[in-house]
Amino acid sequence: MKNNNLKTYAKYFSQFIIAVAGLLIIIDFTIHRHAYFHLEEIIGFPAIFGFICFVFIVIVGKQLRKILMRKEDYYDK
Amino acid sequence: MTSSMIPGLWMIIASILLPIIPHYFRQPTMILSVVLSSLSLLNGFGTFLTWDILGFNLTLYHSDNLTLPFAIIFHIASLLVIIYGWHNKNLIENMATLAYAGSAIGALHAGDFFSLFIWWEATALTSVFIVLAGNTISARNSAMRYLIIQVCSGVLLLIGASMMVYQTGNHELTKLDLSSNFGVFIFLAFGIKAAFPFLNGWLQDSYPESSPTGTVALSAFTTKLAIYALARTFPGTETLIWIGAIMTAFPVFFAVIENDLRRVLSFSLNNQLGFMVVGIGIGTELSLNGTVAHAFVHIIYKALLFMSMGAVLHRVGTTKASELGGLYKYMPLTTIFCIVGAMSISAFPLFSGFVAKSLIMSALGGQGLILIYFVLFFASAGVLEHSGIKIPYFAFFAHERKTKVKEAPFNMLLAMGIAATLCIGIGVYPKYLYSILPYAVDYQPYTIDHVVSQLQLLVFAILAFLFLVKFKLYPSEIKSTVLNSDWFYRKMLPGIGRPLFKTLSSIINKVYLLIGLLFKSSLGRAKSFTEVHYIKVTTPGFAALVLISILFFMLIIAVI
Repeated sequence: MKNNNLKTYAKYFSQFIIAVAGLLIIIDFTIHRHAYFHLEEIIGFPAIFGFICFVFIVIVGKQLRKILMRKEDYYDK
Repeated sequence: MTSSMIPGLWMIIASILLPIIPHYFRQPTMILSVVLSSLSLLNGFGTFLTWDILGFNLTLYHSDNLTLPFAIIFHIASLLVIIYGWHNKNLIENMATLAYAGSAIGALHAGDFFSLFIWWEATALTSVFIVLAGNTISARNSAMRYLIIQVCSGVLLLIGASMMVYQTGNHELTKLDLSSNFGVFIFLAFGIKAAFPFLNGWLQDSYPESSPTGTVALSAFTTKLAIYALARTFPGTETLIWIGAIMTAFPVFFAVIENDLRRVLSFSLNNQLGFMVVGIGIGTELSLNGTVAHAFVHIIYKALLFMSMGAVLHRVGTTKASELGGLYKYMPLTTIFCIVGAMSISAFPLFSGFVAKSLIMSALGGQGLILIYFVLFFASAGVLEHSGIKIPYFAFFAHERKTKVKEAPFNMLLAMGIAATLCIGIGVYPKYLYSILPYAVDYQPYTIDHVVSQLQLLVFAILAFLFLVKFKLYPSEIKSTVLNSDWFYRKMLPGIGRPLFKTLSSIINKVYLLIGLLFKSSLGRAKSFTEVHYIKVTTPGFAALVLISILFFMLIIAVI
């Protein structure tokens, strides 16, 4: 148990986030959000946008490593 | 007594006196000087000090609705930096920090381009000692590059200001545009310090090289001074909207793969400046308010994040993500403060970033700039990724830690505590922040539309993070160097320049020896030109040479 603290916290945290995410989508059905652009008013749009952007950033960042990553002492040589 | 005393000058005087003050009283003296300096802010708006010299009328102390919010936050940041560095016995760093903060505050109150130039260079010359105080060889090299770039910005400003006087006879700090050639020079000068795309290399290069306390001071002043200068002289310049949008989006990708967490924060700083630059580019009252509000809250949460990473560096000795993790158990308070900073920068409702960023987003929406709006929306997810999740996750969680570490010292915790309180305070009661903004505000950030929208974005982005970690798609940290725009002058130019220089010097040598042989003069006895006079080509030296040539070239073009 001693070494599993982080895993336990991570589990609780994930459950909390999933619950909040579900709640936010439910709220979105009950209200009509006013936004500057109609696109943003679609139910769940910010949620999908946020999710996709995050995955996109991480995946592209990972690929960028191939171009931009050098050894730690690159500039010292 | 304080009526015509330029704000910030007390701090510079105190910094000069610091060496003769016993070290117990050093920090209290520094605090006292900041308090004395801040008394000038009670003067209200107007021009309080001018100086006629050589036919020029310099406005040394002018304050108005734009200088006030910046002056307030610069004073707050100075206090935070001093408290955070209370344990710091490095006299040079203490002096440099105080003089640097003082110069930045002085620069805010300059009413013409020449006084601004003096302060502009003063911030460069004082801050370079803060980078030097990092006290490693790489910090020293970085400091030299930093100095070259910063002075370059100052020289561009001086060229621009001189041309402006020559062409218009005016040197007041007024609104400019890019149609005049001096406008372009001044724009570039500000652009270097505001870390525009491709002019940003110095920021990520030097900030992470400084000491734990030094980086906090650096993060607050230089770039925000540039934002102030841009807001004063180039509001409504459309180019800035595009520059700003690029600044918000690109550093995000670099931050994902960078290993040094203080460098991640420097990329994040760059991305935050982008939001402010977009606000200046739109140029409406709402957007300028947004820029100022964002600069105000940004200084606090960015300082808080740098302070938490500084505390980690102080206790663990590194901020490389690949060597950290699991610190939550040993540094619980630092962890909490870091998370507050992370939530503020990610703009969670009830935190300071939310009430400031909303102003800029509303200004964009109001103008109908849909593309830029969604670029900034995308960048918001990026901010959450690198500052909101990556920083706390890799430093404090990620995996359990085996070796014990002590919690940060009391003074560091105090400074972080104050900053965290301000982050939440401003987020909960934004009206105090709104009341000091340049234009009257009638804005309500907490509408249900807005809160739900923002929360959806953030919570689902966190969900994406959990998903990526769960399926092992999230990139692990690798010890590495990530190339940035400083590569051009650290690798590419020396790569081209060194062989050229060698060829050139060997030709000179041959000619030299030939002359010696032909005339059998004493010249011939010297072995060769390079061995006698010339030492070694260093990268900063070469960079300086290139920059000087560029400046010289620009000057010639300007004259023609």
